[in-house]
Amino acid sequence: MSSVKLENGVKLEKVVKCYGKLEVVHGIDLDVAEKEFVVLVGPSGCGKSTTLRMIAGLEDITDGTISIHDRVVSRVAPKDRDVAMVFQNYALYPHLKVFENIAFGLRIRKEPKDKIQSTVEEVSEILGLTPYLDRRPAELSGGQRQRVAMGRAIVRHPKVFLFDEPLSNLDAKLRTQMRAEIKQLHKRLGATSVYVTHDQVEAMTLADRIVVMNDGFIEQIGTPMELFVNPANTFVASFIGSPPMNQFPAIVKAISETSMQAMVNNTAFNLPDNPGVNDGQKVIIGIRPEHLTLTSAANAASIPITLNLVEPLGSEALLHAAIEEHPVIIKTETHGNIDHLNDVSTVYAPAELVSVFDADTGLALTGHRTT
Amino acid sequence: MINDPKKRHAVSDAPRKRSFKQKLSWFVDHVKNEWQIYLMLAPAIIWFIVFLYKPMYGLQIAFKDYSIFRGVAASPWVGWEHFQTLFGNDQFIRAFWNTIKISALNLLFGFPAPIILALMFNEIINATYKRFAQTIVYLPHFISSVIIAGIVTTAFSPTAGIVNTILEWFGYDSIYFLTKPEWFRPIFVGTGIWQEAGFGSIVFLAAIAGVNPSLYESAVVDGASRWQMMWKITLPCILPTILIMLIIRIGNIMEVSFEMIILLYQPATYVTADVVNTWVYRQGLQNGQYDVAAAAGLFNAVVAFVLVMVANTLSRRYMRTSLW
Amino acid sequence: MAAMNMNLYSRGDKLFAIAVAVLIGLFTAATFYPFIYIAAVSFSSGFAAAAGKVVLTPVEFTMDAYKYILTDSDFWRSYLNTFIYTVGGTLVSLLIIIPAAYALSRPQLIGRRFWNLFAAFTLWFNAGLIPFFLNMRDLNLLDSYFGIIIAFAVNAFNLILLRNFFESLPQSFEEAARMDGANDFQILWKVYVPLSKPAIATITLFCIVSRWNGFFWAMVLLQSQEKIPLQVYLRHTLVTLSDDQEFTATLSSQPYSAESVTAAIIVCSIIPVLIIYPFIQKYFEKGILMGGVKE
Repeated sequence: MSSVKLENGVKLEKVVKCYGKLEVVHGIDLDVAEKEFVVLVGPSGCGKSTTLRMIAGLEDITDGTISIHDRVVSRVAPKDRDVAMVFQNYALYPHLKVFENIAFGLRIRKEPKDKIQSTVEEVSEILGLTPYLDRRPAELSGGQRQRVAMGRAIVRHPKVFLFDEPLSNLDAKLRTQMRAEIKQLHKRLGATSVYVTHDQVEAMTLADRIVVMNDGFIEQIGTPMELFVNPANTFVASFIGSPPMNQFPAIVKAISETSMQAMVNNTAFNLPDNPGVNDGQKVIIGIRPEHLTLTSAANAASIPITLNLVEPLGSEALLHAAIEEHPVIIKTETHGNIDHLNDVSTVYAPAELVSVFDADTGLALTGHRTT
Repeated sequence: MINDPKKRHAVSDAPRKRSFKQKLSWFVDHVKNEWQIYLMLAPAIIWFIVFLYKPMYGLQIAFKDYSIFRGVAASPWVGWEHFQTLFGNDQFIRAFWNTIKISALNLLFGFPAPIILALMFNEIINATYKRFAQTIVYLPHFISSVIIAGIVTTAFSPTAGIVNTILEWFGYDSIYFLTKPEWFRPIFVGTGIWQEAGFGSIVFLAAIAGVNPSLYESAVVDGASRWQMMWKITLPCILPTILIMLIIRIGNIMEVSFEMIILLYQPATYVTADVVNTWVYRQGLQNGQYDVAAAAGLFNAVVAFVLVMVANTLSRRYMRTSLW
Repeated sequence: MAAMNMNLYSRGDKLFAIAVAVLIGLFTAATFYPFIYIAAVSFSSGFAAAAGKVVLTPVEFTMDAYKYILTDSDFWRSYLNTFIYTVGGTLVSLLIIIPAAYALSRPQLIGRRFWNLFAAFTLWFNAGLIPFFLNMRDLNLLDSYFGIIIAFAVNAFNLILLRNFFESLPQSFEEAARMDGANDFQILWKVYVPLSKPAIATITLFCIVSRWNGFFWAMVLLQSQEKIPLQVYLRHTLVTLSDDQEFTATLSSQPYSAESVTAAIIVCSIIPVLIIYPFIQKYFEKGILMGGVKE
């Protein structure tokens, strides 16, 4: 699905960024289709913000090209790229009222007064800011300021919207609310958007496609479910999903012609059919906490665990345990009662949900059918 | 997390070194997009060159036999001759030592004054009283030196001044203070304190305000008195600020607010009052001996520069505080 | 920590607080007394002033000294000149310093460290009185209004103070304005200047004070008596009066004397400062914090 290319949108080709001698973005390629909502996600320092700022024109590109709607903009000034950006700290002008903040870009471009008036009012209507137009940013709440920042971007009707961690400064509850609003806004406006965050939950909920970055490289591009079910390597596997995928070093053991197992020390994990590995190969296997199910010891395929801690979350609980000496987390439903969980001693790992990665490179060796 | 993958998604093999052509095109884009900030900077830079750096070029007359008619370039070099003249000139030597002595007095009395004032203000309980006192004490800084000197001259006048009036009340004879060399320095330093101590305390008050209150609170619980806290907490905590101000002060040693000296001195008091810059003023601007005077000024500036460097280095090495 | 509630003070602390309050009171009185004294002298008769009879209040109250001064056209001329130098000088200063400080605060400026050093160096080393004077002569700026206004327009301290302030504003203001399509001049004028009112007010204040009180170079550079500012007029008058026989009051019938006229001039010169003073207090306190010790 990620190989289907639509024209227009944003295109990055072999984009490199160096600060002096230090190369921080190592020649990345990215195609964002028109109207698509793409999220760049990754840990601090992975280069996602730098990439976004290069698209905006706030940073020079050391090498490579960036195109917006088929027009090469690598050397074009930000104001001529027809992009708009929502900043992490909103960057609202404190001395101007909300109306003027939103209208700022239009005034600079010398749009006619009545057009400014109508456009700003229209956008304020969409964002629910109409009662606040006469206030200054200092008098607004975090969520309201966030909306003003978005209003300022929307009002210019840009080709591309850029978001630089806009929800990081909000508390958890507000973040959830604003997340939904951004998604609705995107549905309504249908504009090409590139969104940067370090929060994988935001990425999963907002994105049409996610770009996982690490250390200046792109680890994987795909839809949220693709990344969840078929992570391309161990980094993506442990980045997406909360709690992260359990990973163990193992050695492949062939049981028969087609079926194999992975031995984590002396514990056997059944592997899916046609795993693409050889007997004796060193691998890393992964299984998500929610895919491990509780089972009785009588089950032949059960895996013994040593339970350390039960963390109740309400409808679910996290079991912190160990398989041999390897820590493992299991996520299971509580059905309102956690007492029985204290006795858990075995779990079951369905073969078709086990991921296999090469022990040296970390690359995925198995692919799962997307369900 | 085990083993980061070595193979990466979509890495280009292009070499990283930027060609000259690339750097040139980057530069051209930069100028195209950013010319405005260079335009903003230009007037200031031009001003510095015309009014502060160009005179440095003219400073070479310190080593030349300068004549106005020949101009700087055409005047012949005389090497260190002017400096030899200076060091052989009694008046200059005297002026140099006066500079040092007056600065020492200023350092001894004038430098601590704002600090002591700040410490005292910190102990005032009534906020209104403090505000009122501060308002008055800052005022002399805003009054011109001419006016300050005028007031001082009037106050110390032999027949009309209040100081002599009071002396006569106590049965002493009146003294014509400003003609007496031994009185010049105390009056000068005292005037300086009157004019600048108040305003100068602002920096230290700001530093005191920045001290962590919990230090005081724990000292109070331990039973310390205000006096002890002042010595053991306040002073040590503002020591970096004091040192920085001291370094700045040392950089100004050779300046000695010579404007005020000109306003208060007279030939009778040159013995103690004449400093390098006033000597330069008379020799250069009044007598037209530009080259020798310039040499004296250069000597002045170099000494000041060296002093600041030394002070800054010492402070950085031993106190870990420095201006840069 | 500032002084606390006296109720929680020990006995020793209370004595200390009282001693400090008294000392501050003495210093404050000593600071203010000279002004009261000079005012009193100015309103006293010439004889009383010359004889040193004035202590705290005017003796033989008279306005004659003021009449003498306020009818002197040179006095008013010099007042006007001071206004010209102050307003003109401050405006030129702001026009040069504000854009330059903005430019120096931008990370994209090539050679930024160099330019900053270029400016800061002038605080540590200047060529001296003679080269500066000769330079002014070479530039043909002696004895001119323009010369006084332009030659003292820029001061690296103010430049650096404002630059530091601009640097303290988040970069995202500039970036957002840039994305909105503003060029550098627009960003400076529409965003940064409105946000920097305290800092700009502070350097304006420093400029005004320094111009108003400027004496030495005005005295050296100006020859024409009709161009001299107030402080130079003051100085000339103070010096000539004390030598002038006409003002030596030997008879009690003399309405004014050198001392009382001197005092009157001084009072007239201080009045504008006293009027503005209450309004500027909050600015310079903040200003010191800003410029503070960071160079």
